[in-house]
Amino acid sequence: MGTYIIRRLLLVPVLLFGVTVLIFGMLQFLSPVERSALYVRDIPKNDNAINGIIKTYGLDQPLYVQYWRWMVGRTDTVTGKRTGGILFGDFGYSRTASTTVNNLILTRFPNTLDLTLWAVVPVISVGIWLGVQAAVHQNGFIDQAARIFSIIGTSFPTFVFGLLMLLIFYANLQWFPPGRLSDWASQIVYSSSFHHYTSLLTIDSLLNGRLDIFWDAMRHMLMPILTLSYISWATFVRVTRSSMLETLRMEYVTTARAKGLPENVVINKHARPNAMLPVVTLAGFQVITLLGGVVITETVFNYPGIGQAAANAAAQLDVITVLGFAIFNGLILILANLVVDVMYAFIDPRVRLS
Amino acid sequence: MPGLLLDVQKLETTFKTPEGVVHAVNGVSFDLKEGETLGVVGESGCGKSVTMLSVLRLIPSPPGKIVAGEASFLGKDLLKMSSEDIRHVRGAQISMVFQDPMTSLNPVLTIGRQLTEPLMLHVGMNQKQADARAAELLSMVGIPNSKERLKDYPHQYSGGMRQRVMIAMALSCNPQILIADEPTTALDVTIQAQIIELVKRLRDELGMAVIWITHDLGVVAGLAERVIVMYGGYIIEEAPVKELYANPQHPYTLGLLGSLPRVDEDEGARLFSIEGAPPVLYEKPAACPFAPRCKWAAEKCWKENPVLMNVGPEHKAACFVDTKTGRYRS
Ligand SMILES: Nc1ncnc2c1ncn2[C@@H]1O[C@H](COP(=O)(O)OP(=O)(O)O)[C@@H](O)[C@H]1O
Ligand SMILES: [Mg+2]
Repeated sequence: MGTYIIRRLLLVPVLLFGVTVLIFGMLQFLSPVERSALYVRDIPKNDNAINGIIKTYGLDQPLYVQYWRWMVGRTDTVTGKRTGGILFGDFGYSRTASTTVNNLILTRFPNTLDLTLWAVVPVISVGIWLGVQAAVHQNGFIDQAARIFSIIGTSFPTFVFGLLMLLIFYANLQWFPPGRLSDWASQIVYSSSFHHYTSLLTIDSLLNGRLDIFWDAMRHMLMPILTLSYISWATFVRVTRSSMLETLRMEYVTTARAKGLPENVVINKHARPNAMLPVVTLAGFQVITLLGGVVITETVFNYPGIGQAAANAAAQLDVITVLGFAIFNGLILILANLVVDVMYAFIDPRVRLS
Repeated sequence: MPGLLLDVQKLETTFKTPEGVVHAVNGVSFDLKEGETLGVVGESGCGKSVTMLSVLRLIPSPPGKIVAGEASFLGKDLLKMSSEDIRHVRGAQISMVFQDPMTSLNPVLTIGRQLTEPLMLHVGMNQKQADARAAELLSMVGIPNSKERLKDYPHQYSGGMRQRVMIAMALSCNPQILIADEPTTALDVTIQAQIIELVKRLRDELGMAVIWITHDLGVVAGLAERVIVMYGGYIIEEAPVKELYANPQHPYTLGLLGSLPRVDEDEGARLFSIEGAPPVLYEKPAACPFAPRCKWAAEKCWKENPVLMNVGPEHKAACFVDTKTGRYRS
């Protein structure tokens, strides 16, 4: 198991290299002049200025030189100070957020993570439970209910669902407010008496013993959570159900029953672990869906996460920010896949021991 | 006189499918005495597996359903007892080995885990005792290094080895009956012979009764005392093994015997082989289910389904026609 994880970890830099080459490659669709505009706050007015930028940033140099520069940044010959450099984790300056991209990610990502965790953990656990139950009691009540919800779940898109929630619960019933926190809660959270242990607001408020702030954060997050989880949960139920149904037809399940094992042992110890393999694979794929869903959900609910910032940047052609996010997303995807691979190996000895 | 272990009467099992209700087992009756080995023969799809799975109530339901019959084991009807009670029969008193050892072991659990389960469940051993016993069992079925190999997973075993594990598992609680459902069909020939030898040896050592299912009459010859031949969910012939070979009565049995390769005959002298395949019955047949493939089929065979009748001492067959004369039996 240990060597398996190490081998997988060694792959991470290779994959990241691939991501940067891809993104850099996409940049080449822009002419040097267009690209020069990316490096400055205002679009330069005259040719001299443009040529100056092209020279300074080496935009007319061969591709590999440009790529190298993009990776390691530019070191001032006099002061020896480095600016930029993806390799050093410096993603540049975000025009739309008026701060560095790094800063933007640092302040926004915890919010997104907070939202995503609350959206994903219940989806996966409840989704799997429902899927297993639906398969075990095929055509029973839970199965029928799951099927109906699954049809609803797959038949209208996230933003429609999000808007619907917004219309009903926010505009009409006024049960849940959009945004991140109420004003009174913000004041406490940003005061010095509130410790930021994890940067995840819900967790920190619990760690600070502030249940009132936890509930306030939850009230703001509930609709985004439902919208974001809505994307995946029907898929999870469906895949778990069909995988479980297939597993229950396997001969080793009959073997388990023929041994005289009680049905709950047959289901939970013999069938379910096998049925989880496709679900783990699905979880890997769902990370991509989720990253897209985050953009839509945060935009619809005006939730200050990384997705909203990305949508903002994209709308205003803030390519530097978008690039930074793209690489960051790539990193998350790679890490998520790593987790999925490890989980897969953990369940399946054929993968672990090969 | 050895006592009666299992007495199955008029067993009927159906499957609901999108195409209709499949009548897989249609009133099968047979018995099994203590220590006896019974061969069950028939082509693929004749209802052999479903019959045995029904006896242990292991039919997937839905779509399967046992619609009639009884299966009395030591005086108790397996088909009527509570699901809790039958659990204590499965694996403890009646165990099964399946056809494909590549799929009948759980790929994510260690061999040790799978072997110790029935021991802890039925015999009440603790983990340590069960581990020791599992290693013994593995040695018993001829797997060397048994202690270490308990930690391995099925994919680290070859097909033949896995079938040995299945046999060890089936015999772990000293059952009275071992049902072996084509345990050698998926294995190659040399391994087949080894597995057959292994079961023979263990049967003689442990003294359990064996139901050996196969589509190969040749395998049954050296193994069973009595044979039943199945076709279309019916038993169509039943006889002691020597009698069946010497004096087969049903055209289907003749066909099965005829398609056996024999050392003393060359290729051209083989009796015949049967064209076609066994039927999938969506209705209980009004005619003999074998008639479409039978070269003796006479008028009566198309009008009525023959029941199993006595054709000699301890010999029964379900056929109107005497194949020796080509006339109706008197
Ligand atoms: N799960 C099932 N669903 C539908 N039909 C089945 C199922 N299992 C078996 N059958 C049908 O029952 C009949 C007997 O099958 P089986 O007992 O497996 O034959 P075999 O003699 O080869 O063991 C076949 O016609 C088969 O199609
Ligand atoms: Mg079979």
